[in-house]
Amino acid sequence: MQISPEEIKVKIIQSLNLQDITPAQIDNGAPLFGAGGLELDSIDALELVVMLEKEYDIVIKDIEEGRPAFKSVNTLAAFIAAKRSP
Amino acid sequence: MAARFPVITGLGIIAATGCGVDEVWNALRAGKSGLKPLTLFQSLRYGQIPTGEIQRDLIALGAPSHGSRSDQLGWLAAREAMAATKINFSECADRAGIVLGCSVGGSFDSERFLITLIKHGKMRARPTRFHECASVVDLIANEFELFGPSMTVTTACSSSALAIAAAAEMIMVGEADVMLAGGADSLSRMTWGGFHSLLLVDAAGCRPFDANRAGTSLGEGAAILILESEEFAKRRGAKILARLTGWGASCDAHHTTAPHPEGEGAVAAMQSALRRAGLEPSAINYINAHGTGTRDNDLVEAKALKTVFGNHVPPFSSTKHFFGHALAASGAIEAVVCVEALRHQEIPPNPGFLAPDPAIGLEPITTFQRASLMHVMSNSFGFGGNNAVLIFSARETIPLTRAPDPGTMAITGLGVVGPGAIGEREIEPPLPSGNILVHSCGTPSDTALLTPNQRRRFGRLVQMALLAARRSHAHDPAQRLAVAIGTGLGCLDDAGTFLENLISKNEREPMPARFPNSVHNAPAAQIAIDQDARAMNSAPTMGEISFESALWQGMRQLEIGEADCALVGAVDELNKFPLAIGKRWGLWDEKTIPGEGAMVASLTRTEDSTTPLAHVTAVRLGRCRKPFDAEREADWIAAAADLKKVEVILSGAKGWPALDENYSAVAAALSARAGRTLEHQTYKQRCGEFHSASGFGFSVAVNLAREKKCGVLLYTLSPRGAKAICCVQP
Repeated sequence: MQISPEEIKVKIIQSLNLQDITPAQIDNGAPLFGAGGLELDSIDALELVVMLEKEYDIVIKDIEEGRPAFKSVNTLAAFIAAKRSP
Repeated sequence: MAARFPVITGLGIIAATGCGVDEVWNALRAGKSGLKPLTLFQSLRYGQIPTGEIQRDLIALGAPSHGSRSDQLGWLAAREAMAATKINFSECADRAGIVLGCSVGGSFDSERFLITLIKHGKMRARPTRFHECASVVDLIANEFELFGPSMTVTTACSSSALAIAAAAEMIMVGEADVMLAGGADSLSRMTWGGFHSLLLVDAAGCRPFDANRAGTSLGEGAAILILESEEFAKRRGAKILARLTGWGASCDAHHTTAPHPEGEGAVAAMQSALRRAGLEPSAINYINAHGTGTRDNDLVEAKALKTVFGNHVPPFSSTKHFFGHALAASGAIEAVVCVEALRHQEIPPNPGFLAPDPAIGLEPITTFQRASLMHVMSNSFGFGGNNAVLIFSARETIPLTRAPDPGTMAITGLGVVGPGAIGEREIEPPLPSGNILVHSCGTPSDTALLTPNQRRRFGRLVQMALLAARRSHAHDPAQRLAVAIGTGLGCLDDAGTFLENLISKNEREPMPARFPNSVHNAPAAQIAIDQDARAMNSAPTMGEISFESALWQGMRQLEIGEADCALVGAVDELNKFPLAIGKRWGLWDEKTIPGEGAMVASLTRTEDSTTPLAHVTAVRLGRCRKPFDAEREADWIAAAADLKKVEVILSGAKGWPALDENYSAVAAALSARAGRTLEHQTYKQRCGEFHSASGFGFSVAVNLAREKKCGVLLYTLSPRGAKAICCVQP
């Protein structure tokens, strides 16, 4: 099942309480963590874990499991799609 | 002048491994972990995973039935330590004090209030009576009649190590002969849900320094050491167990939860403790590591050990698998372990460790063994990058240190958020609806100056503190900056929202970003990150004297030369829970209006300041006897402050007739002593009533001292017994 990057961006902004940022300002391929993108940190990663559970029923128990998925909006969309495919 | 370090003459402990020093040491000797499936409360989501719960009937052990679970644990440890030391406390009560670390406080009991409120729609406020982290200190000091200085340190997992350091300083500066020092924290749904939300709990039980470690195990407990001046101990022929010879504190100033990747703060704290002890790293024979079992902590601690000790890291072990991580009590529990190690000349192992981790490159001690120990180190690191390190030495050692030199400090800046404007506030559900008159600071005018991350992640408490600090201080990278921010109730909005969510959703959809903000040291830690303050970082709490406690700690750091500048202050926020509970208890009326606000003052040594606003010449903490004796109070104040230079007494009168009469009686007694009428002024009519309002009072004192060119004595009494003075001169 496909997930639109726009939907994910809205949910990232909501769940992380990002201020003064619109979905259009988030590049689908840009890094979410570290320099050059949203510059999120480890606490944001945990909020994304909660968002995935709340919105998509995906449970992550080890943050290492989420790390590759949290690279960018694109990787997150692919991760959700893969997890939700039967 | 050379000074002797405090000696340790009594120990008390209660933890998952046992009740009492001998029971605990025997469990360590037998390799018997205290981790068991959780039974204290039901966790639908995380189940009965291994936890360091004390599965004993605390009342049957003799704990008082009043008090929170943390209070009861602290009381049991205090009773054992006081019995062991054989001091006649009634003969030295004014010179006997207490400093404990506590960060959970009465949360476990307050959660019952929230559950009844959320699930049954009923307000039963009784369990919240002992919510404050300072409650355990008040309980022990009042029950055992200790009238010396009292303080609670609440810097998350390093709390009790920092508390022991503060108690040692109280003895070193001559304000006490004997101190109870340690910590107490119970398990709670709050910390349970919080650590799980951060994915920091190992469902298999913690495995410190192991390659497959996956988090910590939570625990609970209390431990108390009796510290005495050597002179006092010798005079009464006390048996000396060991000495406290080093203590050092630092802040990573890096991140809310993640340690500095190279362990810079941990290194600085260990080096500071070694400096204080006058020891080379090679003198340390054993280290009780913080070793929580989380991936980051253990990796970074190992790096820091290698930086400090090079290729000769001493034998070390983490005892967290025995006790669980008892948070604010862990530093004190591990201090007891260190003293027992010295006494028995034995090293406890590091259960949970099986496979070496190449990334760590160090292996802990895995079997209980005999060793020749002279000096041992104990590490404690907490949220907010808060680090505290203690060094204990065998009783035969007599290293000397420089005597601290309490002096006048210059106030170079003052930042205030408040006083709040008076307005009606509506109490939100699920609490009973109603309006209460409050002094609210609203949204501070310069909130826009905060970074986007500070605005999105922090509530009003941290934001007010950050802004007050910025208004008080211009960043100077050459200065080593210490921070001490007192608070009475801490981040109530974050803690309350986190818990409401946890309880109403049965632990689903937790709020990981809220949890680390809920610790009382969040304001101090965020100021440290904002101002790159890497020296000691503390968050004392002691009811109405929370600010003075912060001032006391900041001044000591300047005196001992471990900081060039100290940001000292206080902050509290309005929140629906204490508003509604206070209304139920009849605390609020037109004379006592709840308030909030933040104050931060920037202090330096007098010789380092060219244009100070004013000076602090004395700060003293203590406790009142019952019944209140104004003459005795006046004696106490006159011994600490030069009344010849005081014109105004600025008191914390708050519209409570009995308390306010005490203030007036002391002002009159001081006037009689001074031989002239000292003006008695108050400040709470301007800022409202909140625990740390004396921080605002301090800013009033500074302005009065400047305007009237006279000395101002800030005098604060807590209804639960603590008291403080501080003297501001032009």
